[in-house]
Amino acid sequence: MEAILSRSATYLFLLFGFIALGGAASMVFARNAVHSVIGFLVAMLAVAACYLTLQAEFLGVAQILVYAGGIVVLFLFVVMLVELTKFKEKRLFQIQTPWAVATVLVAVAAFGGVFWKTLFGPAAVEPLTLRPELAEGLKVAEQNAQALSRGLYADFLLPFEILSVILLVALVGAVVLAKTERV
Amino acid sequence: MSFAQGLLEALTKDLPLLYGPALLAVAATLMLWPGDRFVGRGNKKAWAFVAALVLLAAGALALTAPTDEGFNRMFRVDGLTKGFQALCVMGGLITIALSQPQLNALKEQTVEYYALILFSVCGMMLLVGATDLVSMYFSLELMALCIYVLVAYLRHQERSVEAGLKYFLLGAFSSGILLYGISLLFAAAGGVTTNLAELNGRLALVSANGSLLVYAGVLMVLVGFAFKVAAVPFHMWSPDAYEGAPTPITAFMSMAPKAAALGAFLRVFGTGFQGIASDWMLPLAYIAGASMVLGNVAALRQQSLKRLLAYSSIAHVGYMLLGVMSGDAQAGAQAIWLYMLTYLLMQSGAFAILIYLQGKGEGERIDDFRGLGRRQPVLAFAMMVFLLSLAGIPPLVGFFSKFILFKLAIEQGHVALTVLALLTSAVAAYYYLNVVAVMYFKEAPETERAPMGSLATLVVTVSCALILVGTFFGFRLMDWMGRIVLG
Repeated sequence: MEAILSRSATYLFLLFGFIALGGAASMVFARNAVHSVIGFLVAMLAVAACYLTLQAEFLGVAQILVYAGGIVVLFLFVVMLVELTKFKEKRLFQIQTPWAVATVLVAVAAFGGVFWKTLFGPAAVEPLTLRPELAEGLKVAEQNAQALSRGLYADFLLPFEILSVILLVALVGAVVLAKTERV
Repeated sequence: MSFAQGLLEALTKDLPLLYGPALLAVAATLMLWPGDRFVGRGNKKAWAFVAALVLLAAGALALTAPTDEGFNRMFRVDGLTKGFQALCVMGGLITIALSQPQLNALKEQTVEYYALILFSVCGMMLLVGATDLVSMYFSLELMALCIYVLVAYLRHQERSVEAGLKYFLLGAFSSGILLYGISLLFAAAGGVTTNLAELNGRLALVSANGSLLVYAGVLMVLVGFAFKVAAVPFHMWSPDAYEGAPTPITAFMSMAPKAAALGAFLRVFGTGFQGIASDWMLPLAYIAGASMVLGNVAALRQQSLKRLLAYSSIAHVGYMLLGVMSGDAQAGAQAIWLYMLTYLLMQSGAFAILIYLQGKGEGERIDDFRGLGRRQPVLAFAMMVFLLSLAGIPPLVGFFSKFILFKLAIEQGHVALTVLALLTSAVAAYYYLNVVAVMYFKEAPETERAPMGSLATLVVTVSCALILVGTFFGFRLMDWMGRIVLG
């Protein structure tokens, strides 16, 4: 029973992973800004579903609340407030398309090779896996939220605090650049 | 002991390591609010004074911090940290002094400007002490984010905004590359740790099928860092960003973030990835060589002194990368620190004079220096000292720092690169001397003399005096200073 469950979780993970990729791609390629935002929403929801299949329920819910809820609405506001129609006719950043495609293909081939060799290389004695202790640690922590708090406030306290300063700086920077008049 | 108690205990033990950067972050936040409410519209200048005081205090706190490791082995205070933190603080102080004429003239004095400088220096101070890839990445972002905004600070000038946007887009892109490299290394080492010391041990033991993953990861981290220090071929953003940014911020970018990024470079590659040196040594050698050649050759054709200094700073980074390649990390750190210190003095002096000429309505073109030798002999003399020292002409102090760096490189067996460095230094001498020749041997149009402003005069006098003192005491002084980094 457990084997079936874990296998179905893997398939679900893959399914939602591809949906997330599709959403991200449609966000990048959509001509209409509102369609972009909807693509973004799909990607964020699919990533939240990925978290759920990995049994990180808290992270999944937080993802839906923060990204799918807050940030997408914010984006929609910006899209509606800023008049984007005048950019429609301009082909921004499009002159380098052939080069970009070539670069992407080369990068895909290179990384494909790297991952192929890593996963199926001749000396693959043990397959590459994330640490087994991680799952143990999650069990010990009883709950998702507890595990997360341990990560944020004990193991990664310094980066967490630096991140809070980064957010403050981003706020200040936005004000500096957008304020119409300096006082 | 409960979880919370353990947290508190660890925090009280580790916090003294961070007094310097923490003071900067707290003070900058308080300056923004509520501090700014009590300062009237016309008195924003006062914030420069406050920010300078805060920087001095933070520098003092950082230098007296205990030598230890803390925060779950994410931050470490040692000689390298203290040495480079001092450089970053100096860079911040000089920038604040140099900012005064331009900000006053354009009526752009705001508290945010100084707060962003403080936040940025805070990020740098955290960056040079970071011994974990995660804390390193976040400190790097904190430092860079402030500078993106500062570059675009004069947002009524189109080129300032353009420079900021270019820098931001390329910087964000390079951060993505860096982060992806970090994640590859994390996976290759078994997904257990991002700590540099632990990674070093694990990466050297990765089995054959993982070696390509390690190689790709290290290469991408290298590319990310090369972007941040503007080394060829990842330098494209720097001339535009340097030219478009407000000139004091250009000076800032060429001093403090460069020092911090090189400190982190040393920490990550010199000591962290020493075990897999064979993976990154050759690419780094190519990057260093290309930076020396392209930086110096491109500088030859520049008409704008700002762009000239930007390209020459690419070349200087190329020289300093020789120190990163040194197998002896301590000696490499010492050589780079000395080089960066002298570079900071020369660069700040040259920028102070450039800002003065800009303030007079003359631009930043090399032609504007015509006849400076007759118009303002003292200023021209100081500029000559800075330029000759930048060129590394003996007996000036720039020669000593170059000598120490190149000597180390030869001892470490990088003979071909050192020869290249010497040859390109000769090319560099041409364009620096060209500016000197323009100052002394070209006729000048008659212009009025404007007062220079006390702070810029102070910067010019102090850096010129320090360079001359360094010249007379040379090696003895260098030895003594270099010992600071070894502590």
